[in-house]
Amino acid sequence: MNKGNLQELWEYVLTQVELSISPANFKTWFCSSFIVKISEDGIVYIGVPSQFFKDWYIKKFHTLLLKIIRDVSYEFRNIEYLIVKDERRKPAKETKNISGAMELPLDEFYINKSDNLNPRYTFDTFVIGSFNTLACTAAQAALSRPGIIYNPLFIYGDTGRGKTHLIQAIGNQFKKQYQGRKVFYLTSEKFAIDYVDSVQAGTANRFKDKYRQYDLLIMDDVQFLSKKDKTQEELFHLFNALHDTNKQIIFSSDRAPASIPDIAERLKGRLSSGMAVDIGEPDPESRMAIVRKKAALHGFMLSDEVVEYVATSLSGSIRELEGMVNSIICHAQVKGCTPDIAEVRQSLRSFTRPQKNISVKNVVDKVAEFYGIDEESIYEKTRRREVVRPRQVIMYLLREDFNISYPTIGSKLGGRDHTTVIHSCEKIKREIVVDNDLIKDIQNIRTLLV
Amino acid sequence: MNISIEKKLFSEAVHIVARFAEKKNSTLPALSSILIIAGDEGIKMRATNLETGIDLKLKGEVKNEGVVAIPATLLQQIASSLSYGGDITLEHIGDIISIKSGTGKSSIKTVAYDDFPSIPFPENPKNRIIISGVLLRTLFTSIASCASSSTIRPELSSIYLSIEGGILTAVATDSFRLAEKKVPLINKGIQGKFLIPAKNALDIAQALPDEDIIMSFDEHQCAFVSTFGMLVSRLTNAVYPDYRQIIPKESIVEAVVLRKDFETAIKQTTIFSDSFQKVNLSFDPKKNIIALFARNTEVGESVETLSAQVSGSPLDISFNHRYLSAILSLTGAESLSFLAAGIGRPLIIKGVGDTSLLYLVSPMNQ
Repeated sequence: MNKGNLQELWEYVLTQVELSISPANFKTWFCSSFIVKISEDGIVYIGVPSQFFKDWYIKKFHTLLLKIIRDVSYEFRNIEYLIVKDERRKPAKETKNISGAMELPLDEFYINKSDNLNPRYTFDTFVIGSFNTLACTAAQAALSRPGIIYNPLFIYGDTGRGKTHLIQAIGNQFKKQYQGRKVFYLTSEKFAIDYVDSVQAGTANRFKDKYRQYDLLIMDDVQFLSKKDKTQEELFHLFNALHDTNKQIIFSSDRAPASIPDIAERLKGRLSSGMAVDIGEPDPESRMAIVRKKAALHGFMLSDEVVEYVATSLSGSIRELEGMVNSIICHAQVKGCTPDIAEVRQSLRSFTRPQKNISVKNVVDKVAEFYGIDEESIYEKTRRREVVRPRQVIMYLLREDFNISYPTIGSKLGGRDHTTVIHSCEKIKREIVVDNDLIKDIQNIRTLLV
Repeated sequence: MNISIEKKLFSEAVHIVARFAEKKNSTLPALSSILIIAGDEGIKMRATNLETGIDLKLKGEVKNEGVVAIPATLLQQIASSLSYGGDITLEHIGDIISIKSGTGKSSIKTVAYDDFPSIPFPENPKNRIIISGVLLRTLFTSIASCASSSTIRPELSSIYLSIEGGILTAVATDSFRLAEKKVPLINKGIQGKFLIPAKNALDIAQALPDEDIIMSFDEHQCAFVSTFGMLVSRLTNAVYPDYRQIIPKESIVEAVVLRKDFETAIKQTTIFSDSFQKVNLSFDPKKNIIALFARNTEVGESVETLSAQVSGSPLDISFNHRYLSAILSLTGAESLSFLAAGIGRPLIIKGVGDTSLLYLVSPMNQ
């Protein structure tokens, strides 16, 4: 038996106790107790519900319990009894009283209680690599003089790059550094729902006041506000109110402020008025560091070979990386040993994406259809404007999504030189940064191709 | 053991003590029993359900010392069937106790008493205050009904007692309404606060005598001691929400009505309230009236207009009628004053001239 596992130890003690006392006694006295902790000098602390129990344990069961745990190990020197808080015991299961459902609860009980931040997200668990140094530095700077240096701080990057982790870490750090000041974290979706609810209940003023009281407001995933005009307007006013009083605001989004579609210009301008930083694709070294850190958090050391395999040979966001590490650890725990490379390969089968097998012709068909042109014209030597753009998009997609070599693309598309293909890809890559329509087009085509 | 007690005293004591015995028979038999101790200190009756406990002293004659545990329900049945006048004699031989009263005699099998737990007393005797038993009893019985009956949040199913500056403040809330009552104390200078489960407080209130008692408490346990004996209860070990911050500081409309008027009006309107028990209150400062309105689509509707002294701006706000009428049992004042802070914000009700009480009720969603 594992002496360190409190639950296991207590269960063993219970089975022994059950043998030596009457069932009624056992049921009355031992149902709601447990081992709280074992101190370093070998004192076992048992948590009991009330003074009644404490007195009775000392009077009746102390010698019995001591004998049982001494049998387990001589390291246990003594037993002490603690009366534990009600919250730590299991709450009795109970059906909720429905009659009171219509009343508003005295709501301030629940507000203030929480700032919505997840304490799990801190700077300690955040891996800093070259891809996010800038974002991280900006965050630290904003924390050093909140509301003054970078206001608003806008952090963007693809899904699973650690935006939420970073902005929540800012919130948690802010709470620690400036005690007494108010932080609030929410997603833009929650903001929109809140707004709609307040309009419905006719309490729009309270809604306004509620958000204006915070010293640091963190809003996640602002891109979801697109097309919600009234909510945007509300955010616009909230933004002005907070910004004018030098309250720090932090946003995150999956794209740059300028490229969020369907969002009012004045809000766009304000979002990018402070500091907008990008969290890029993590480089292999950073990915390795992340894998190591995640594994270490679970108390596991992975061999370098495994770390490298996970970080480099498998694609995917940091979130997926975390999933892979979890999966490896789960497998390892089941088997009870640190996994080697072969086992890791085996256990990560589900994460490797199926290879996309798609013919060049298929891509050409889909793109031509999308742009409404004749597919034959793609292969021809024509330089008509309406054909050139689709042709470049095809080259870009074949290169980016399907990793086909430049010369192959060239030869498949009517015997073009590989430098032409390179030029096309580069051109699209450059334009994609500034041209919103092009981004949309490419996204739409990608969905057609899946 | 051989003791004899006056019948009246005996049956009163049994009724008080039996309340503290465990009602479920699934646990230890000793817990659903009353322990009778005859010793140097006279006769004592004890019972506990591990939440609360009682140790009651009785006047009587001890012919022979001893200890015996008798099932509480059985003893209660015997006590209630006694005819008054004369004494009752209890004699314990082997594991049989014979109870003789007048001409009758019954023999009862006893329960093994070595399983009977000791009744714990607070460890720190410094925290003690003296308070009249009547006062504490009314405090507990009036306010306990406002505590939550669910055990999901133990702090809300408890009464919060805080002692500061010579005043004992008791608070109970179920998160829909809140009652706060203050009682002055004789001995000042003691500070402290604790949470007593409302259910336990009610049990204790039933057993409290009228005379002055000493209330002492520590982190986990509180005790009420007087010449009659001792009552103890487990305390809730949780943090009470900071209730003061939800009490609105300002009000937009204030009204004073006669308690008599309000009582009849709420009774009348309640008949028409819907399944959500909704009653609408509207304050009209121009006409100086409060109107109570309820509508049930199946029954009909009713409006009761009360003449009142209203100052401020007009306001329409709905409440659960049960929560509104609860004020009537909380204060005995002749007039009630209502202070509303606006739509969606809680309403404060006080008794005019009764500064000890504050009652806060949350409105219903319009």
